[in-house]
Order: sequence, then structure tokens, then C-alpha cells
Amino acid sequence: MSEISRLAELRKLLLEMEHTMGLQDLSSVERDVFYAATDLAAPATPVKSTSLQSHALLSSVSRPTFFRALKSLVGKGYLTHCHPPVRGQYHVSHPK
Amino acid sequence: MGYQLSLRPLLRDTLVVSLAYISAFCVTFEFLMPLQNALFPDFASRASLLFLPHGVRVLSAWLLGWRSVIALLPAVFAVFWWVAGDATFTPSRLAAIAVAVIIPALAFDLAARLRLNIAPSARATPCWPCIMGMGVAISVVSSLLTNLAFGSPPQDYIAYLIGDVFGLFFLMLLLMFTFRALRQRARQS
Repeated sequence: MSEISRLAELRKLLLEMEHTMGLQDLSSVERDVFYAATDLAAPATPVKSTSLQSHALLSSVSRPTFFRALKSLVGKGYLTHCHPPVRGQYHVSHPK
Repeated sequence: MGYQLSLRPLLRDTLVVSLAYISAFCVTFEFLMPLQNALFPDFASRASLLFLPHGVRVLSAWLLGWRSVIALLPAVFAVFWWVAGDATFTPSRLAAIAVAVIIPALAFDLAARLRLNIAPSARATPCWPCIMGMGVAISVVSSLLTNLAFGSPPQDYIAYLIGDVFGLFFLMLLLMFTFRALRQRARQS
């Protein structure tokens, strides 16, 4: 497991804790999309929405729900568009 | 060549984990222990009731597996040296060091062999109450073995257990709020 994915796993664990305590602002589908994105994210490499859709955590999520969750995650700052913007490609916002 | 390549991440893990362990130890003994002594002056045991380094041990073992033994060793040894000086090399303290670094990794290894699905995985949602449960189990075994090595009085078993469990929970809580604050700051900027 790489350093990035270890940090991602720790963040996932703490997000689960936030969710249990009712402090988190993500729905269960948004959480799964975010977890899938953190799983697929690599340094300086954007995550493609097509790759996200085929992730094991999202196999049972419908396309409209998936894209709604994706849009919401961008709005909430968990994911960001690429610079320059490329359709269907996102970066995971890691805390600085 | 391949050995050299795999040595670098291990050194990085060791540095990060050791810094985290020593920081947690400093906060526990320089800030929380004086507070505990002021709040509970009649509490006879020298054990901390909020032992944050246990959290570092458990989370390191969960994330790194057996690599955590090497990653934790320098910091655990340094902390024993800080507290006991030359007496660190007595058999009881060397046994306590071994217990502190080996038991967490061994516990997660046993859990994996028993097919308990708690290892970090990209395909699964982590279960934080399971990590807490593992923290309790690791603390029970560690405090039994450590107190056996030191021949400590029975009340110390309970004090270590309370300190470890609260330490793990509060460290996770502290990390949760830190990550949350960083995320919110990143969103605002």
C-alpha cells in the first residue's frame, strides 16, 4: 500500500467516525464515490469518471445518482475539476 | 537494488510513525499527566488515564501491518530511554519494549488469519468500532504481559487498560477534527 493510499485509508476511517457521530455532510453514495476516488487517485493524475463508475464500491449505483453525487462532491470541495478543465476528470482534494 | 528500493519507504514510515509516537508521548506526559495529577490527586498509580501513544501503536499496526514493528521500535526505545535511562536494558524493560511493538501487529495479523474483515482495503469501507475493539484487545494483552514483566500491582492493569482505550479514542477524535478543519479550510480558500 502506497503512502498516499495509507493516508486515504486513514481519512476514510476518520470520515466513517464523523459519519457515525452525525458530523459528516455526505450521503452514503457521496461517501462511496469519494472513497472510490481516493482509491483510484494517484499523485498529479486525475481520476476519470468512467473509472469511478466501474469501481467495486459503485457497482450498484445508477448513472444519474452517480453523477448527482459527483457534482455534489465538487460543490462541497471534496473533489476539484482539473486545471485546465477536462470533461470527466477530477482531483481528490487532500488537506494541505 | 530491489532491497534498497523497499528500504526507502520503510525509513519514511519509521520516521513518520516515530515522530507521531514521540509527539503523542510528549503531549501525554508533559501536558495530560500534570492535569491528571491535579484533577485526581488521590489516584495512586503512575499510569496515564489518557495514553495517546497506544492510538499511534494501533493505527500504525492497522495501516502498516508487520512493518509497524520496525516503524515503532526507535520511538518506543527512545521513550523507554527517556524514562529509565540505562535501566532500559533490564530484561523486564526489554520485554515491555518487545510487547509494545509486536503485540499490535500480531493482533491484526491474527485478525486477518481469522478472516475478520478489518484490514485497510480500497474495496471496503473501514470500520472504526472494529479498530476500537482491536485497540481494547491489544491493550488487554499488552497490559497483562507488561505488568507481568514489571510485577506491577493489580490496579495498574485497569489503569493501563483505561488509559489505552481512552488514548486510542481521543487520538482518533483529535485526528478526525484536525482532518475536518483542514478540509473546511481547503474548501473556503
